[in-house]
Amino acid sequence: MHAQIFRASLRREWQLLRRRPWDVAMISWVPLLSVALIWWIFSNGIPTRLPVGVWDADHSALSRQLVRFLDATPGLQVVARYDDEWQVEQSMRAGRVYGVVEIPREFARDVKRGHAAQVTLLHNAQFSSHSGIIQRDVRTAVGTLSAGIEIVARNKRGEPLRAARLAAEPIRASLANLFNPSLDYLQFLGMALIPALLHIFAMAAGAWSVGTELRDATIGEWRNTAMQGQERASFFAALLGKLSIPFISLSAAGVSGLLAVIIAGGMHPAGSLVFTLLALMAMLALSIALGAVVAAVTRSLRTALSVTGIVTAPAFAFSGAAFPLSAMPARARLWADSLPFTHYLRVQIEQLQMGAPMRYSLPALVWMPAVTLALLLAAACALAKAAQQPDSWGAR
Amino acid sequence: MNRGVFIQAWLDTMKAVVRDKGALLFLVVAPLFYGFFYPWPFSTQVVTRVPVAIVDLDHSSLSRQITRFAQASPRLDVALVTGDERDARQALWKGDIEGYAILPKDLKRNVLRGEAAVVPVEGNGAYLLLNKTVLTGFAEAVGTVSAGIEIKKLQSKGQSARQAADSRSPINTQLVALFNPDEGYGNYAVPAVAIIIIQQTLLMGVALLVGTWAESAVHRAGTHVWLGRIAAFSTFGVFMGLLYLGWIFAVHEYPRAANIGGAVLLLMLFIPAVAALGALAGLVFANRERAIQVLLFTSIPMAFLSGFSWPGEALPYPLQLLRWLIPSTAGIQASLRLNQMGASIADVAGYLGVLAGLAVLAGIALCIKGRAR
Repeated sequence: MHAQIFRASLRREWQLLRRRPWDVAMISWVPLLSVALIWWIFSNGIPTRLPVGVWDADHSALSRQLVRFLDATPGLQVVARYDDEWQVEQSMRAGRVYGVVEIPREFARDVKRGHAAQVTLLHNAQFSSHSGIIQRDVRTAVGTLSAGIEIVARNKRGEPLRAARLAAEPIRASLANLFNPSLDYLQFLGMALIPALLHIFAMAAGAWSVGTELRDATIGEWRNTAMQGQERASFFAALLGKLSIPFISLSAAGVSGLLAVIIAGGMHPAGSLVFTLLALMAMLALSIALGAVVAAVTRSLRTALSVTGIVTAPAFAFSGAAFPLSAMPARARLWADSLPFTHYLRVQIEQLQMGAPMRYSLPALVWMPAVTLALLLAAACALAKAAQQPDSWGAR
Repeated sequence: MNRGVFIQAWLDTMKAVVRDKGALLFLVVAPLFYGFFYPWPFSTQVVTRVPVAIVDLDHSSLSRQITRFAQASPRLDVALVTGDERDARQALWKGDIEGYAILPKDLKRNVLRGEAAVVPVEGNGAYLLLNKTVLTGFAEAVGTVSAGIEIKKLQSKGQSARQAADSRSPINTQLVALFNPDEGYGNYAVPAVAIIIIQQTLLMGVALLVGTWAESAVHRAGTHVWLGRIAAFSTFGVFMGLLYLGWIFAVHEYPRAANIGGAVLLLMLFIPAVAALGALAGLVFANRERAIQVLLFTSIPMAFLSGFSWPGEALPYPLQLLRWLIPSTAGIQASLRLNQMGASIADVAGYLGVLAGLAVLAGIALCIKGRAR
């Protein structure tokens, strides 16, 4: 009996979708296209050649060498020269360059006399990631020049070159990123944004699928078609049948999208890829059920979509990927920890990047389906109630 | 006569918005709500005391010294000192720590003999800001100890402390953040995303109302009526924009440059462009709720196309051009310069030109598509 209801409801949804190309688009090619767009945005992996300016007040061979070093780093390109403070200020304020390196007068003479010289980098932290890259590369260029001078000086004092090189830096911290060796943005940012987008599509799909029945006042017709006049109507089976189409379609889009980006980006998952994809499907199912329950309870498609916007659109900001959970205020942390996306992302990072053993990620694959089931049951109850109150149908 | 039609349409549309709960929600309530909800997680601004581990395989006075320096770092919180890397890895998987440094065996011996000594630092590249904090914290701790050793050695060869310091590091870099000087995360993210929030809520609200009209085919009108409608939608949008730039930014204490004239001019171009595009979307969808469903996902790609976080210079060339079709791209670039950096109107003329062009194009398309039959 439940199987019949499931099948009848699925068949009805299929027929509805065949008449509504926009509805199909929002669970198939639009999500795929958005994944492709994210991949395209980050396809360069690492930003290079950011425009910076130089104010060289020394005009010495050494200062020109430093400018060449700066221009040779991958992250920078020297696009402007300045002669005074006012030009520097103007150029930074107008945002024509993201940073300016100032080389003081007497720079070469100080170095020759064995005094420490100082160059100043003015950077624009309003553009935080630009500024991070520029700081790193300016430090590298200056450090390279500085170490070269020190080693030459030591060499002149009679130390052999190799010994001088080691003495110049007795202990070196080698900064490896355990799970993202080149700090490729596609790997940490792109890979977190893709499921964040799918999460939005999934909850919107659940809200849309159930919400349109209430908006168009077709919930009674849905009940009659699915239940076929049976007395003890079960909206649970009808809901499963209805939502299985967006679930299958979005899972196919999500799994193929994530796989394509992993392959195109040449990534090597450290842990279990299969587990990650299963977790992604569980997250999508949960998101669809969440959209469905909000639509069933509020009986308004518009309200359900607004709630979808509140829960899913800022989910990435709350997920810890950009700003750490541990640094958030306590109540914001509480909200972040109650969002399904936060937990899914942790699993994805554990499996794809940290190579954590399965036992750390396994609980998510148990509680996510359990929560999904609970949400669907709640939605079925709310729908059964709504179906008996025709006055409440058709709210916009 | 025409002016009368324009004013009448303006007033009628204002009334229509106030009477429609959905439109009012998106045009007034949602921007206010997001103005406090989105900045909420970032209100602490900076990341400090990130939990880390130290894997000490040397057990020497030197490895203990590095541990002490790491413990003293404001960036790090040494939660675990262990002699086994497996412990550190497990703590990392559990989420108890976010990175660790390995002080290798024979570290002190190698340093005393003048041989290469390397301290590997393992951070979790997946969590960007944590990773950066861990790497910087350990690099500073190790660098300080390393410099101390070198200066001691130079002094032992007869240099004075000052000389030793100078010859150890002949050229130094001084870093000065000219804008967002305390380098807070909220200061950087929210002023840019605010423009996206203003754009998206306005797009959805306008498309919802115009889509509702289009459902029952009452949307068709002449040019003056459409201009009046855009003026009405823009009234709400400009008001919300001023609320953000003037009040919400101040409440959150974000860096603000008081270029009021520039901010108003920016809104006068940005908001009508967005409102016209929203009305156009409403005509295309011809459905009350469709715009919300379709536009929900777009804020994320728009944010990363705008060039405030992921550098525009790093985008593939076709996207570098196409992104200017979205008002938020020029809107964010101009707003950060005017409102956070204190640029002059002349400095952002190019961005304002893009917005004016978008407003005119969208307006013409709207009047043609929605013209009276």
